[in-house]
Amino acid sequence: MTKVDKKKRGENYAIKIENVSKSFKLFYDKHYTLKERLVFWKNKKCEMKEVLREISLNIKKGESVALVGINGSGKSTLLKLMTKIIYPTSGTISIDGKLTSLLELGAGFHPDFTGRENIYFNASIFGLTAAEIDSRINEIIEFSELGNLIDSPVRTYSSGQYMRLAFSVAINVDAEILLIDEILAVGDQHFQEKCFQKLEELKKSDKTIVIVSHSLGSISQFCDRAVWINNGRIAMDGTIHEVIEKYLEVCG
Amino acid sequence: MKELLTNLYNYRQLLKSNVKKEIRGKYKGSFLGVLWSFVNPLLTALVYAIVFPIILRSAEPNYVTFIVIGILPWTYFTTVIMQGTTTILMNAAIIKKVYFPREILPISINVSGVINFLISCLIIFIFLIFSGIGFSWYLGFLPLVIITQFVLQQGIIFITSAINVYVRDAEYIISFIINMLFYATPILYSASMFEHSALNWIIKLNPMATIMNCYRDILFYQSMPALLELIIVLLVSCVLCYIGFKIFKKLERNFAEEV
Repeated sequence: MTKVDKKKRGENYAIKIENVSKSFKLFYDKHYTLKERLVFWKNKKCEMKEVLREISLNIKKGESVALVGINGSGKSTLLKLMTKIIYPTSGTISIDGKLTSLLELGAGFHPDFTGRENIYFNASIFGLTAAEIDSRINEIIEFSELGNLIDSPVRTYSSGQYMRLAFSVAINVDAEILLIDEILAVGDQHFQEKCFQKLEELKKSDKTIVIVSHSLGSISQFCDRAVWINNGRIAMDGTIHEVIEKYLEVCG
Repeated sequence: MKELLTNLYNYRQLLKSNVKKEIRGKYKGSFLGVLWSFVNPLLTALVYAIVFPIILRSAEPNYVTFIVIGILPWTYFTTVIMQGTTTILMNAAIIKKVYFPREILPISINVSGVINFLISCLIIFIFLIFSGIGFSWYLGFLPLVIITQFVLQQGIIFITSAINVYVRDAEYIISFIINMLFYATPILYSASMFEHSALNWIIKLNPMATIMNCYRDILFYQSMPALLELIIVLLVSCVLCYIGFKIFKKLERNFAEEV
């Protein structure tokens, strides 16, 4: 959508999802090799499974939205569609603004390189340039609280330290839209609190945040709006307290 | 194509760090480190240089240099094609989780390959000096040959890397083809030996043969390379690269679901 269009219609959406459906091919026995494909070319046992059905959802700039729902309801698929990792079977998704997904922490980490080098690798996956990384590397290291460990290879880190480094990179990428999937359970109590503080800060600076989480307590403090996804459809969309109340009533 | 260039520009740091990881990460922890990328082809060249004069009886003078000039570009070719073909599968973990322009992966394989090759050109130069062959002004054509090989490889791995996600056999088929191609490319022998053979058309059709002949002409024989043939190969490679990119983009949409 062009800028002119938006102004004309007076909209200010960060994420616009229209009639999106997503189906996955489900194979009973997937044939990857040529031999198998030739031998079994007739009995292709596959079934289309519809994970999301005609989802329409608009998220305004500066909103913080929680996606709730039971396992396998399609929340993560929806997040993946927003990041363009996968594409919808039908419908359209338009994104306005720089988007970062915290679906996977430490993507692209190389165990033999130091924490500092890995900050560069990891941040570059999010599309940052060397100068941009240089300007915030101190902030990242400070946030991770790794101190001198930053110059040791990441294979020597404990899993908690690894996650802390990864989270510090992701949170400092400076995107306008942040998608977060179940990763807030990072590190110890102290670090978790720090993460929420940082998210709170980002929220105040008018970033759009979409969170998938099962820790209803913390998201109810943080988000304004919640969308409950059940069986690939939007079951309810409203303020966080309304939705969580209803969700706990039905699924709790 | 415009999309490719803007993506490349926006994600230039990713390309850079990927290339760095490709070059340094591979040998990290080994004693000789990056040196292995040069020791390996050198040892291969040495083996051929010992064995072939015995089999062939009459070998070219300076046969070791002759072989080294053939083996190093060939190693560059096979490494890029093989690593390029598997690169998408190798990076499955990131592809499933993060969005970034996927073409960065095959491109960084090719770029790290060409950097390795440029360094290994030093070895060729050392051989040229010590064998007394020396250098000529034709060296000025060398960049054009390297660019041609680069574009050709890029076109091939755009296609093979994407196909290998859907049909895992591609990797093995390609490794077989490369093995065959080794004998259809004038690496151990010079192209002139096949001039009157019925099999000459294979060499004529093989783009790597044209490229290899140019390396030989420029470096070993110190004569004018067959420019017209080289430029035809370059043009064909550009077309292949364009088509390859289109195919890659088409198949890319389902990478995250298939890997």
